Amino acid sequence: MASNDDGQDLVVYGTPIEREEDVSARKRRGVAEAGQLRTLPAWKQEVRDEEGRRRFHGAFTGGFSAGFYNTAGSKEGWVPQTFTSSRKSRAEHKKQSIYNFLDEEDIKDMGGNALETSQQYDTFGFTAAEQARKQASKDQIERPSAIPGPVPDELVVPATTSIGVKLLMKMGWRQGRTIKDAHADSLYESRRAARKAFLALSGISNNEDQDKVSSQKSRVDENVAESFDDMRASGNTPVYVLHPKEDLHGLGFDPFKHAPEFKDRKRSQKSVNRDRNRSDASVRGNLLISNSGQYAPGFGIGALEELGVEDEDIYASGFSYELTEVDIEPSKTSGDSKFKLEDRKRGVFLSFKIASNSEYKLERFHPPEIPADFDGHHKFSSPIEAADKYSDLAPPEVPPPEDTTLRLLIEGCAAMVARCGKHIEDFYKEKSKANPQFIFLDGGDGCSYYARKLWENQQKFVDQQRPDSVKSKPSSDKLTAENRGNILGERPLDRSSKSSSTYLSAKEAVQLQSNLGDTFVKPISLDGVPDSKKPFRNEPAKQARFEQFLKEKYQGGLRIASVVPTSSMSEADRARERLDFEAAADAIEKGKEYKAIDPLSILGLNEQRFVPSTQSESSAVPRDEKPMYLPREEFEWRPSPILCKRFDIVDPFMGKPMPLRRPISKMDTLMFMTESTKRTNDDVKSSSVISQNTSAGGTEQTDADVHANDPDIVPSSVQRPVDLYKAIFSDDSDDDMDEPRSNKQVDPVKTSEGANMALNRLVAEDFLESLGKELGLEVPAEKPVVPQNVLFRSEILPTADGSVSRNEKTTACSEVKETEIPFDSVKADNANGDGFEKLDSKYEKREHRAEKDRSHSSHRQVWNGSSESDTEIARHRSRKRRSHHKIRSATPDSDSSGERRRSKKRKSHSRHRTVRSRTPDADSSSDSQKNKRKRQEKRSHRTRTPDIDSSDEYKDKYASSSRKSSDKDRSRKRSRHRRHRSRDPA
Amino acid sequence: MSSAAATAAQQLPRSESRTLSGHEGAVLAVRFNRDGNYCLSCGKDRTVRLWNPHTGALVKTYKSHAREVRDVNASSDNAKLVSCGADRQIFYWDVASGRVIRKFRGHNSEVNSVKFNEHNTVVLSAGYDRTVRAFDCRSQSSDPIQTIDTFQDSVMSVSVTSTEIIAGSVDGTVRTFDIRMGRETVDNLRHPVNCISLSNDRNCLLANCLDSTVRLLDKNSGEMLQEYKGHICKAFKMDCCLTNDDAFVVGGSEDGFVFFWELVDAPIVASFRAHSSVVTSVSYHPTKTCMLTSSVDGTVRVWT
Repeated sequence: MASNDDGQDLVVYGTPIEREEDVSARKRRGVAEAGQLRTLPAWKQEVRDEEGRRRFHGAFTGGFSAGFYNTAGSKEGWVPQTFTSSRKSRAEHKKQSIYNFLDEEDIKDMGGNALETSQQYDTFGFTAAEQARKQASKDQIERPSAIPGPVPDELVVPATTSIGVKLLMKMGWRQGRTIKDAHADSLYESRRAARKAFLALSGISNNEDQDKVSSQKSRVDENVAESFDDMRASGNTPVYVLHPKEDLHGLGFDPFKHAPEFKDRKRSQKSVNRDRNRSDASVRGNLLISNSGQYAPGFGIGALEELGVEDEDIYASGFSYELTEVDIEPSKTSGDSKFKLEDRKRGVFLSFKIASNSEYKLERFHPPEIPADFDGHHKFSSPIEAADKYSDLAPPEVPPPEDTTLRLLIEGCAAMVARCGKHIEDFYKEKSKANPQFIFLDGGDGCSYYARKLWENQQKFVDQQRPDSVKSKPSSDKLTAENRGNILGERPLDRSSKSSSTYLSAKEAVQLQSNLGDTFVKPISLDGVPDSKKPFRNEPAKQARFEQFLKEKYQGGLRIASVVPTSSMSEADRARERLDFEAAADAIEKGKEYKAIDPLSILGLNEQRFVPSTQSESSAVPRDEKPMYLPREEFEWRPSPILCKRFDIVDPFMGKPMPLRRPISKMDTLMFMTESTKRTNDDVKSSSVISQNTSAGGTEQTDADVHANDPDIVPSSVQRPVDLYKAIFSDDSDDDMDEPRSNKQVDPVKTSEGANMALNRLVAEDFLESLGKELGLEVPAEKPVVPQNVLFRSEILPTADGSVSRNEKTTACSEVKETEIPFDSVKADNANGDGFEKLDSKYEKREHRAEKDRSHSSHRQVWNGSSESDTEIARHRSRKRRSHHKIRSATPDSDSSGERRRSKKRKSHSRHRTVRSRTPDADSSSDSQKNKRKRQEKRSHRTRTPDIDSSDEYKDKYASSSRKSSDKDRSRKRSRHRRHRSRDPA
Repeated sequence: MSSAAATAAQQLPRSESRTLSGHEGAVLAVRFNRDGNYCLSCGKDRTVRLWNPHTGALVKTYKSHAREVRDVNASSDNAKLVSCGADRQIFYWDVASGRVIRKFRGHNSEVNSVKFNEHNTVVLSAGYDRTVRAFDCRSQSSDPIQTIDTFQDSVMSVSVTSTEIIAGSVDGTVRTFDIRMGRETVDNLRHPVNCISLSNDRNCLLANCLDSTVRLLDKNSGEMLQEYKGHICKAFKMDCCLTNDDAFVVGGSEDGFVFFWELVDAPIVASFRAHSSVVTSVSYHPTKTCMLTSSVDGTVRVWT
């Protein structure tokens, strides 16, 4: 079926398009980077070089990427530089080097070479000579020389030949010869020849003689013209280097004290030198000596002589590196090699010796003796194996013994042994040796029956076990879905076709629900254990029904009303079966309880009772025919709009709002509620603690301290608006509704109290602080609470209220004054005539009051038993103060009642929930609304609303508050009672 | 069986025309491309290979997966590939250059199956993390545009029609998500579903279940039309498909056999030993009498 449209048969015209693979890696990377860059907006893109560094690009290298983000500007834009005169800092010369203008790459390109003039172009070696001279003088300073004083210039010769010298040498110049024009030379020569001729007449000097000889020579051989005369004439000095002596030292100084190997070298060198000097006897012996160190002893006889016998070893062992070392530093290595040889001989380091008798001996342990009868295989007496063993030899069928008890015993025992293994049998044997009833275990009466029963049971057991084990074995390494389900305890999916087919569409929903309901059952490991729970395990259908029965009996949950009415059993049969089930369930229940005592009876009895009816009824179930309808469910499914778009389908949910992710369950809110109330309780506690601290801590506590506590409080009321709202809408509660209240409503009360308290504190502190700021005064330290205040508070109240009602437009300061006047008069010992001091003391008192209020409210339970009126007063006062505060914050010259109402409203939205306590009074004009809200809010706080007319002004209310206090007290008492009751049950 | 069916059965691809060997390790899936000229295979050697099954030429090897590649699918314009694997990645390949254009993230575990939609704009993937995820090929984002997480177990296979997403799961359900209607239809087969494949008329659904049964469902009504038995499918993810004329059902077996069932009456019309080991995947040519099988033994075989 191979088609012909293959690549081989194609004829290609034109230039093939360049494959993308062939594009170089660089370009690919560039493309990738470009892709990355493209994702960035233009002003974020940066130019980077190959190494990924960001650098400025000039016009030559970066094109228009110069500057700041592809612009010509800078980050700051164009900033004109202020002119700085260099007049004063003229001497300050900036030292610039080439490196100021190079970056790492350029330097790298230079190859690490510093820029300097090359000696190569030092034509006649002047620089080199200069350097050599410098070097020589430096050397001379460093080391002592034989010749004192500076080295004569002539002795110092440049180490390198300059380019000029090289050129000259190329041209045929040799060291030591003059640089002379050949022509001039010849001229000079001819002239000298004439002079010689003239001189020949007179005496002959040695020099001239030599001159003559040399000139003759030069004439004979131009190339080899080396004469002493020429040398002298050129003024060139012979090349030789003087070495400073190094063989003279101070008295008693041994330079080789710590390096004896060099002593050898030195000695040998000396001897060699002596030999050389003797043999050569040349003037340049000195030079040779210097060289001799390099080569003489290496292959010289001296070194080898010294090595003596071992020299053979050196070459024989073939350690070439030693040879090379010999070349360079002969005597040292010779010494070294000697040590090495010795080392090698001994096998240890220089300073270590091998002990002649080692104390350490390797201890050897012989392997344990294997008994002769050991065969290396262990056999586990697992029930399956045992069963296999037994299955081979089926004992003959034996009639059961007449004694029914014995028969039961045997059967029970057999069942037990079959399930638990052979060791149980041994255990029984051992346990009941004396018991004549268990004689069958030892081959006594009923032994054959026992064997038969045991075999039967084992067969059964194996039949149960085997399918699982056989099936799971090959796929044990791979976890199948089934295995996984088993492990997780999932209910296996119904997998017989009959079940899937019998489902009718009407029943689908129910069935599915049940399926979903018990998808998870107990894991199979647990399920399989209580075999005693399966008294009908020989009849699967019946067992299933029994299990269903058990489930119904003992377990709760949803279940289908009509349970398997499909079976062909008659009504009577079913009734009988039910009785059976009851009995079995009872037996199991008992077995659970008395299992330790008598497991046999249950097992045995049940088995005995139900074994005979081995025929299963499962075959009676008819197999349904096609068509088969699968259980089908439909849900709403919302495709995402983008998916619809991509599928080119109109979004079916277009325009509809997105569904809520998850309906918030009631449980969640409940949880939240409890948590919040708990927190507020904590708040109550903490605030009470604080108030205690402040009241007990006495005079040291300033408002700074209060401020320090502030952050604890403020967020608590801000972060938990729920509390706040709860408190707001619950504080002024429905007191007109006198239905009995349950205890659970107390929690909200607590909440409101906590919130109240926090706010009271806040307001009081705020007020004090701001007041102090206004007056520019230090808030003085407060006085401890005086409980006697209780006495006169009730008297104070009306006046204070009156003052509030009178001057609502006055400033807070004056209000305070007025409010505190009675207080002052009572506590006259604190107050002085001076106004400021009075104010101070007033401050104190205010603080006291606030603290007191706090403590009152927090310790309401403590207080309210003895002095309810006091707490009431405190509350009144705090309310009043709050109103002050409010007024102060509002524009003071506006209409008072309207202002208050407005501010109230505002505050009810804000976290200031002080308003709330008064809201019903103020809003009393709209009775219906009030009532409605009250009905909604289930709060225990009783306020005076029922007593107050809707049109009542604040003034009247407060003025009459004392009058009404009895009524209020009554109502309050009620509520407090309730609170009391709930708080401490006693 | 009618005589026509018998003659059709005679023409079933039974003779091996070629062996595509090259995978080093089990081949987990083999797929014809849309026109049937090429095929894609993927396997445990972490590669995706593009073959010409008619000449046996290995056209290209796509390497990027870090672990075994479980499924591969080619776009209908043959320009793009999408592959998924045990490395939790879905790779969106450019066929010609062999480069990964995009990696789709989101699956929390192995991805079992992956498909393009009709317009090659969306990639749908089914994973062990019990989700089907849809990825947008047109955007730069690698995050799914939709995640369907109603499954209760590993989703083994996903198929796409022009308006529906169909997925089979180990929880025994085949779920059809109709985008046009906004409905999710759950057909409970009660057996772990290994593979689903659509008939060529898109009306029927073939589901290979782990109880060694292939089931044919009517997609619209959910009616189970037929069950095909005889093969072994208990532990492995194995494909099944219909022939291009929808006359026969093809399925592999864990013993290396390939089975052909007649569609209507479900008798085994042919079965032969195709591989020495588990037949992981079968793919039928869209027009011709040609079939591909892949196996754990590392080969892909072409049958004509």
